Amino acid sequence: MTKTEEEIEQREETALDQPWVTIVHNDPVNLMSYVSYVFRSYFGYPPAEAERLMLQVHLTGRAVVATGPREEMEAHAEAMHDFGLWATVSRAGF
Amino acid sequence: MGHGFKGRILKGFSRDRSGKLRASIDRDEALLLQSLAGQLIDLLQHGRAADTAIQRLFPDVYPDDEAASAEFKRLTLGGLRDRKILNAESIMSSLSAAVETGELELDGDQIQSWLRGLTDIRLTLADRLGIVSDDQEPLDGEPMQGLYDWLGFLQNSLVEALDSSPRGRQ
Repeated sequence: MTKTEEEIEQREETALDQPWVTIVHNDPVNLMSYVSYVFRSYFGYPPAEAERLMLQVHLTGRAVVATGPREEMEAHAEAMHDFGLWATVSRAGF
Repeated sequence: MGHGFKGRILKGFSRDRSGKLRASIDRDEALLLQSLAGQLIDLLQHGRAADTAIQRLFPDVYPDDEAASAEFKRLTLGGLRDRKILNAESIMSSLSAAVETGELELDGDQIQSWLRGLTDIRLTLADRLGIVSDDQEPLDGEPMQGLYDWLGFLQNSLVEALDSSPRGRQ
């Protein structure tokens, strides 16, 4: 194996190991009280953390609400779409 | 995100000791809500993929990867749509008794359907009203704007009534 191939393989492994994130985006419709409720009731965040994440969404436009394997992050995004929140999935760090 | 609005007609939900939420609602309001839930079902069943309301109800999960988004939708859209339809149907059926009695009563499952279904109705109305940012001025005199605001009040009242329980979510 040449050095270049080794490097490429290492890079791919790093990419595969990298966790994924579920991101909730701000929208002009959902109420702050509701978003906070969803974060508490679905993810089980304590009230203060749910409020912090809700405000981060509201003030900065988005917040990472979960980190982990890709399939789990997709399931979280789907659950957010059940609630009518706007959620997407990305690689962590992007 | 928006803030709650003070409603004029419906006083909002309160929680009883069994954990159910109750609200007084007049016949016209109940019929109006039933009609809105019915329209949502129609949209969910027949709406076109190009409809911006449909796009908001079923967002792309990978905004920068069209193929991955399409694959995810292929696997999940049917289930998500069915659950949204069930929520709207639950709203309609819980209102059937209220049309006669003027009293709306929601158990745990119905509360969850109302939270999600009201949100879907509001997302759809917001799309039709062209609401795209937090600091947008409301359209005074537009009947649909009044309706949208009232539904926001209802939604906020639901969440507040849920939070009023010392045990939180039942």
